[in-house]
Amino acid sequence: MKIIRNLFSLIAARTVVWGVLLAGFAMIGTAAEDGTQDPLRIALTGRYPPFSFYNTQGELDGFDVAVSRAVAERLNRPLDIVTTEWDGILAGLLAGRYDAIIGSMAVTPQREEVVHFSEPYYLSGAQLFIHRDRRGEIPGIDRIEGLRIGVVVGETYEQYLREHHAEHVRVVTYDDTQLIFQDLIHGRLDGFLSDRLVGAWQIRAAGAPFLPAGDMLYEERIAIPVALENTALLASINMALADMRASGALDRLFDRWFGLPDGHDDPNASAASPESMTFALALRFLLKGFALTLLVAAASLTLGFLASIPVGIVLNLSGGPVRALTRGVVDFIRGTPVLIQLFFVYYGWGMIPVIGMSLSPLAASILTLSVNSAAYMAEVVRSGLMSVDPGQRLAGRAIGLSPVQVFRLIVWPQAFRIAMPSLMNSVVALIKDTALISVVTVSELISNVRSVVSVTYNPIYYLLAAVLFFMVTFPLMKLAGQLEARMRAKGFDHD
Amino acid sequence: MIEAQNITFRYPGAETAALSEVSVEFPRDAISAIVGESGSGKTTLMMCLGRFIRPAQGQALYDRTDVFDIPEHAFRQRLGMVFQKLYLFPHLTVLENMTLAMRHAFGRDRRETDQEAEAMLERLGIAEILDRYPSQISGGQAQRAAIARGLLLRPDYMLLDEPTSALDARTTDAFAEWLRSLKDQTNFIVVTHDILFARRAADRGVCLMNGQIASEGPIEEALSRLHLNEK
Repeated sequence: MKIIRNLFSLIAARTVVWGVLLAGFAMIGTAAEDGTQDPLRIALTGRYPPFSFYNTQGELDGFDVAVSRAVAERLNRPLDIVTTEWDGILAGLLAGRYDAIIGSMAVTPQREEVVHFSEPYYLSGAQLFIHRDRRGEIPGIDRIEGLRIGVVVGETYEQYLREHHAEHVRVVTYDDTQLIFQDLIHGRLDGFLSDRLVGAWQIRAAGAPFLPAGDMLYEERIAIPVALENTALLASINMALADMRASGALDRLFDRWFGLPDGHDDPNASAASPESMTFALALRFLLKGFALTLLVAAASLTLGFLASIPVGIVLNLSGGPVRALTRGVVDFIRGTPVLIQLFFVYYGWGMIPVIGMSLSPLAASILTLSVNSAAYMAEVVRSGLMSVDPGQRLAGRAIGLSPVQVFRLIVWPQAFRIAMPSLMNSVVALIKDTALISVVTVSELISNVRSVVSVTYNPIYYLLAAVLFFMVTFPLMKLAGQLEARMRAKGFDHD
Repeated sequence: MIEAQNITFRYPGAETAALSEVSVEFPRDAISAIVGESGSGKTTLMMCLGRFIRPAQGQALYDRTDVFDIPEHAFRQRLGMVFQKLYLFPHLTVLENMTLAMRHAFGRDRRETDQEAEAMLERLGIAEILDRYPSQISGGQAQRAAIARGLLLRPDYMLLDEPTSALDARTTDAFAEWLRSLKDQTNFIVVTHDILFARRAADRGVCLMNGQIASEGPIEEALSRLHLNEK
């Protein structure tokens, strides 16, 4: 715990320094331009209906989004919404990637140690929901042993369950609510602990067969966190909220999303129940994501391949410190998960003293994937170079070619042909690895398909996304096979 | 003239020297053969003459100059080498194999080099393999193509390492004749363990045993003296 707290204070200290510098830049920037304000950067997940989600038009919508707009309007700043995973949302705030989170975050003592919370903008509470079919079976969370209860990783409910109900409840963690709903429908969970409002809204909007079981477990104050040092922003957000409360704007927003028209709990009546996204729209959304996926893959492959050639050559040296160092780096990259590398580059890059500047999600993704593919392709290049008969170099020298010409005209063309099938496999692997970058807020295919499923409740879109991937990877895999066959026919593996 | 002057060479970690105090001359206007069993040091001698190995003692001379004092680029133009495994470049056609060095190492024009290469293959009787890849031609054709690749650079001398290793007895005879027909093109030095081939192809011979010269002189003389020594 101490280490984590130290880490946090380190992050916070750095954020202060950079915050000051950035503020300086920002002031220069605003002075130079025509007085336009810096955008207010607000983070939310975009996958937490009805608080934030993509609506039928494929646009961000929901109660939190509406609150964000209202706050930005009152601060007289343009709004820039950043969608990010819940899991790293606080780390992103501490790293200065956005100014505040309006993502239905509950105030907890632990969180208060690292951020400042505004006044609450609504109150809710923890509620156990179960499948309608088991209404009589599960009267409440502590009346029955061994319940499998789903929670979202990093939400307050997880910790609550582990602290208060650890003995008779099995906590199952998920990346997002959507997956919990699917598992509850399929009977892999007995229930889930979530926000009372979310559960109620889900039942209404999706016709999901869930019911609340027992009383609310505790009440939560939902508020807006900002970085500790950002007291000016905190004050203006509090003023904005106070104004919204006084003018009734906040109540009207709340009613629009959660109010029941005639006062009783009619599951089908809602002021803002979203219709399901049409297939055409969903497809367009997926294709848009896929275009980004392919862009990232193409950029990373190009950079990675270019880097892999010198690295492969160095790996092929017989010894020396440069080779040893390169060997170590390549092994480290290949021996650690891409996901961890991606998190480090995205959240940690800005903390490296010399660099000091954090990367955009897209840049972080391309950098990580490029370095990763360079490491893998360098091995392929190395073994390609190794399988070229040393006599080929000798023969090249014997007819008067310089060492550079020997490499360029004789060794490399052969090594490349030998390496080609394996390189194709690296390409396929990298294209699939792009799936990981959804965790750093790049709205590529995986991120988009999860958003689509979170409003359509139709898991078939996962399959559709898989098919999109396959349409690109399959021809590449075929090509790799054909190249290999042709290589063998040409007798490249012997002289 | 190419000559070895008092060359001694020992491979790292080897107990005995591969060559000890070898001195021999290879005059122009004669095909010379370096004859010996495997391990006799004949390939090491070739690598020394070809400027691939620097002797520990003594030197290889080209027209009285140490080969390592001649810039490599200039030296390669005067002395061609064809290795036992030929090392045609598998990713290039025969024609491209032949013109590669002329174009890139000596900056010659492509059309011109193509014509020269075609004429050379015509003369060597293998014009039909022009556009084939090395994997698509026979061992004998590959042998001739590799020699043709070297000849195109118009070398003063040309070293051939075990040129008959992939040929049977009948084609070996034909190859010896063919080689003699090219005497006007360059001065060949063949490294071989095949005494019959050496007798047919060469004018002069140097016989090596255990890294030392066993006999030397006109080919018949050198070989018969070798036999006497063996007895």
